[in-house]
Amino acid sequence: MLGALFYILIFPGFLFLVFSGLTAEFIDRKIYARLQNRVGPPWFQAYADFIKLLAKEDIVPAESNPKMFRVAPVFALTAAITAFLYIPLWGKEALLSFNGDVIIVLYLLTLPTLAFFIGGWYSTSLYSRLGAVRSLMQLFAYEVPLFMGILASALLADTWSLKEMVIFYTAHPWFWMFNLTGFAISLVSLLGKLEKVPFDIPEAETEVVAGGFTEYSGRMLAYLRLTLDVEMVVGSSLLALVFFPFGLNLGPLPGFLLFLFKVLFILGLISLLRTVVARLRIDQMVNFCWKYLVPLALLQILLNLILKGTLLR
Amino acid sequence: MSLTKKIVTWARIKSPWILHFNTGACNACDIELIAALTPRYDLERFGVILKGTPRHADILVCSGPVTKQIEDRLRRIYEQMPEPKFVVALGTCACSGGVFDGCYNVDSGIDKVIPVSAYIPGCPASPKALIDGVAKLLTSLEEKEETKKSGR
Repeated sequence: MLGALFYILIFPGFLFLVFSGLTAEFIDRKIYARLQNRVGPPWFQAYADFIKLLAKEDIVPAESNPKMFRVAPVFALTAAITAFLYIPLWGKEALLSFNGDVIIVLYLLTLPTLAFFIGGWYSTSLYSRLGAVRSLMQLFAYEVPLFMGILASALLADTWSLKEMVIFYTAHPWFWMFNLTGFAISLVSLLGKLEKVPFDIPEAETEVVAGGFTEYSGRMLAYLRLTLDVEMVVGSSLLALVFFPFGLNLGPLPGFLLFLFKVLFILGLISLLRTVVARLRIDQMVNFCWKYLVPLALLQILLNLILKGTLLR
Repeated sequence: MSLTKKIVTWARIKSPWILHFNTGACNACDIELIAALTPRYDLERFGVILKGTPRHADILVCSGPVTKQIEDRLRRIYEQMPEPKFVVALGTCACSGGVFDGCYNVDSGIDKVIPVSAYIPGCPASPKALIDGVAKLLTSLEEKEETKKSGR
């Protein structure tokens, strides 16, 4: 009982994710600033923002539905944190594991977007509703390539469980090289899930103020921002596990360092991508996802099927 | 000052998010404000981010004299901001009404409508003046907490 509480509240649960999420936000903003030839924020910036927002006044708009408005941020944060419990960080064991947990992780990562939609919709403000509808519209575009990219890797391992995927890729060390197309697809789709720049259409500041977050202030805004940060960490660790499954039998300390290195690499790629590209329109985004990412993901699945028929027979 | 209070004050000083509102300026102060946010001055070093909505902002930066038309809107935007909130009057017109004071369509400076915490004069106020003004506002915040503690 005490052990379970420790896992959920401290490591690898709530506290660890809050710290790593805020640190990830700092790293992202710092790389973004350095690539723009700026000095960038100091290391405590994300923590200062978070504490400040926690201490601010909570405003619930009179027009909104107060229950849904208040529940959405907490719901989003809970879903994002729960997803982390299923991901093995180093070694082969995750905290929770069963056959089919890849699907559960992807599903739990979808929930925050739905919560953003609900929160934005029940704010009953014009900008919030526009942003909310856009984020849902975007969900239908990036979700399919993301699922296909990650499940292609699972298909090669012939399992729906992250634990068994790790076992397979440890037994066949170089097979992750075949999934690099899938990695590229999933990384681009992850940008959509995190609402980062090429796909930050739901919260495009120049168009819809702050999208679904427009009416949120104080503590609830802090939770929403934290959700995006936690999602960034969870998404990168999922990608690190699924697409770079090497060095997972090194033991705790080197394993943890290697895991950190992989996650930092993916975070760096995310920051680089969001610096070098500009925002797309919503129709361009949907077109891009369905015309280029989905066929590429299908090719990846085809490749993995052929591999299964030949090399793994 | 208790530890929590200290941490919260520290966080407030380190993370001032600003909202820019043109209350009738000629655009000169607005351009200077935008210039202050560019990589050359890089206000993100101090945690300053320009926000689009009053709900997210801590500091309302107003530029220009308050015209009769904008008065209601200024008040409404001020009320939409969550506490604690501060107002900075940017430029001579915003501080006092400038040459427009007493004009048929103008209501004088910002402080006639909403309480102002810091005045930054200049026509237009340069980015350096803006940074200086915001820094002074934030230091005054810290001092205020300290005087409260010593009971003065």
